[in-house]
Amino acid sequence: MQPLAVAADSPSVVPDRTAPFADYRLGAAYDEMFARDGSVRPPYAALVARLKSLPPEELHRRQQACETIFLHQGITFTVYSDKQATERIIPTDLLPRIVTAAEWERIEAGLKQRIQALNLFLRDIYGDGRVLKDGIIPRSLIYGSKHYRREMRGLQVAHGSYVNVCGTDLVRREDGAFVVLEDNLRVPSGVSYMLANRDVVRRAFPNLFRSQNVSPIEHYPRELLLTLRSLVPFQQDVSIAVLTPGVFNSAYFEHAFLARQMGVELVEGRDLLVNDNVVYARTTSGLKRIDVIYRRIDDDFIDPLIFRDDSALGVSGLFNAYRAGNVVIANALGTGVADDKAVYSYVPRLIRYYLSEEPILESVETFLCREPKSLSHVLARLDQLVVKAVGESGGYGMLVGPHASAAEREAFAARLKADPDNYIAQPTIQLSTAPTFAGDGIEPRHVDLRPFILRGEETVIVPGALTRVALSRGSLVVNSSQGGGSKDTWVLSA
Amino acid sequence: MLSRVADSLYWMSRYLERAEHSARLLAVKLESTVEQSREDAEASWRRVVAALAAEGRAPIEPDYFAVTHELAFERLNEASLLASLSFARDNARQVREQLSVEVWENLNRLFLKLQPLAQDAGWSRNPARLFREILQDMHTLGGVTNSTLSHGEGWYFLELGRHIERAQLVCRLLDLHFGEARAVVPEAPKYADWLVLLKYCTAFEPYCKAHTVAISPEKIAEFLLFDPEFPHSVRFSIDRACEALVHVAPGAPPGRRAAVERLAGRLRASADFTEIDELMAGSIARYLADIADQCEQIHEAVYEAYITYGAETVL
Repeated sequence: MQPLAVAADSPSVVPDRTAPFADYRLGAAYDEMFARDGSVRPPYAALVARLKSLPPEELHRRQQACETIFLHQGITFTVYSDKQATERIIPTDLLPRIVTAAEWERIEAGLKQRIQALNLFLRDIYGDGRVLKDGIIPRSLIYGSKHYRREMRGLQVAHGSYVNVCGTDLVRREDGAFVVLEDNLRVPSGVSYMLANRDVVRRAFPNLFRSQNVSPIEHYPRELLLTLRSLVPFQQDVSIAVLTPGVFNSAYFEHAFLARQMGVELVEGRDLLVNDNVVYARTTSGLKRIDVIYRRIDDDFIDPLIFRDDSALGVSGLFNAYRAGNVVIANALGTGVADDKAVYSYVPRLIRYYLSEEPILESVETFLCREPKSLSHVLARLDQLVVKAVGESGGYGMLVGPHASAAEREAFAARLKADPDNYIAQPTIQLSTAPTFAGDGIEPRHVDLRPFILRGEETVIVPGALTRVALSRGSLVVNSSQGGGSKDTWVLSA
Repeated sequence: MLSRVADSLYWMSRYLERAEHSARLLAVKLESTVEQSREDAEASWRRVVAALAAEGRAPIEPDYFAVTHELAFERLNEASLLASLSFARDNARQVREQLSVEVWENLNRLFLKLQPLAQDAGWSRNPARLFREILQDMHTLGGVTNSTLSHGEGWYFLELGRHIERAQLVCRLLDLHFGEARAVVPEAPKYADWLVLLKYCTAFEPYCKAHTVAISPEKIAEFLLFDPEFPHSVRFSIDRACEALVHVAPGAPPGRRAAVERLAGRLRASADFTEIDELMAGSIARYLADIADQCEQIHEAVYEAYITYGAETVL
């Protein structure tokens, strides 16, 4: 996840001066609800009408009801401070974000195309390396990546699907087009919030929900199960487990949720053991063989014999069992090489190379500082660009030019010149804004969109997404650790 | 079932039983204190403190608010009601995917309701009512557990934990009135104390139905030890624990089951072939200690056979 930067907001417009919208100021960003001329965009008309008919305290009450449900269900993450551990809910906003059928159709087609190309790319770089021989992408970018796993060379994965679960972050530009901000090909999380948000928001606006023809998403766990099962094509009984780092992981709720919803075992590393390259779970009745592991642990921690030997989360011998073909690990190891920020800029070229198609979804323009021409361009425009370290995520090692001081920019320029290969730069993007309940009334807040793509034998995208929202006014940081929340996303059916 | 999951379910259930026991003792004690003289009230508070394993921690003084706080809401006291509930919830979180939404939500909601009471003394305005409410919530949780979980292996691990714990808790209470631990409180139990003992085990009305309200210590001991139908008798818990042992680890090889089954058979025999007369003639202290000890041995045998066994023994 990466925070984004914006240029300073242009003078604001208030399209509707009546409650609860009196404080709704349109900025330079595309607003999901109000058009530039202040009119309500058609998909939001029913929601606006409903919101105007509710007294303000009623909105408050419904917002609180949503939060209580989250707390009681234990949809929380734990914040550790010096003295004690506190559980907090991930803030959820009760106003749905709406995506039209036409918009969704394009997103879906674009994501399918993208994941197909990325999987072909992974098979290629862990196989023949055609894309490297043809000079489409520099060798050093791949072999130098800390996420490249040479242990994966020559290993066949079912259906050529390295990435079985992908969460791609999209943002909407000022012109209204959805563009890809980043791919999460390792262990993307958030799908439980997509489902939990739907559950509470549907209860908060039952009539509105019914009248809007919203596409269902409840079958996600089933689709995930079918995807995982398809990875062992020639076997009747397939034993599947979700591998979690454990109850202290911030996404533990999601791991437990998915295991329960799929009806499969939730295991920790200490439940598993490998004997003769076969993976077993320790059960009360003895050892039980495991065929597919949906792992929610990073590559580094999966097997202390092969990767980090200080990992207490993984299973000794798991990788060899995987190489021997006795167990499937989803996602495959080494997928992180394809979601790195430098490789990101090559994805449009990869789509053309592998599929002979034009990319349906645009990417954000990216300057690779490893190219001398780009480096000088970036250095000259540091005050307008966002510069990011290639292998980092979560907002580390980055400079938001327009928001940085001259001294900060100067210091960053020095780091950039010292190690240009490690950096990329992108223009600042205006994330679109969506109506969000802000205590007294409804105000615009910046949002992104993370749909989840499943790929086993087939590619399936459940028509929904996690909309992350930056809850403080003007903020663009949607990360849950930094005050971000989420919203239900209604994809309307045609 | 994963061994780790069985472990968590078993302990979740034991801790819930402990929490319920604490809540019941406190509710009954707080309700009955008003009718007792100062000396009698103090003696019976001592028994409550001893029954809840808090000797040396809880202050014994006329300030029963402080005693109740220690027994119910003191987080540093690992035997407090809140600590038990918190351990139960930690175990439940470990196996969140094995529980129904209803079970988790009821447990979680109860915990979230009680957690603030560690700092907030507002509960002291009407403490007896609070503990009755907690009991009500715990009964709801028990009902939800029975009606929303499949009665498969996991449920039997819950049963096993509940009844191993309950048998030991009731033995401890009986020990304080009949056995070795009687020495903890110098004063002999009076009529009111016998009534309260029955109420600690929700046994007052069932006892009256069986023996009328004619209170006799011997009959009470017999009822709480051997009544086959009353759910808080030791005999009842032994039967249920033994039945649970038949259903857990269905696929385990006979060799590993043997040790557990032998112990279960011995425990059942201890309940089947003991006469209250011989116990009252002097052996009750030894008997109570033996039952508690056998429960402990079963616990260890179950862990050895199904949960912590070495992988090399089965490969």
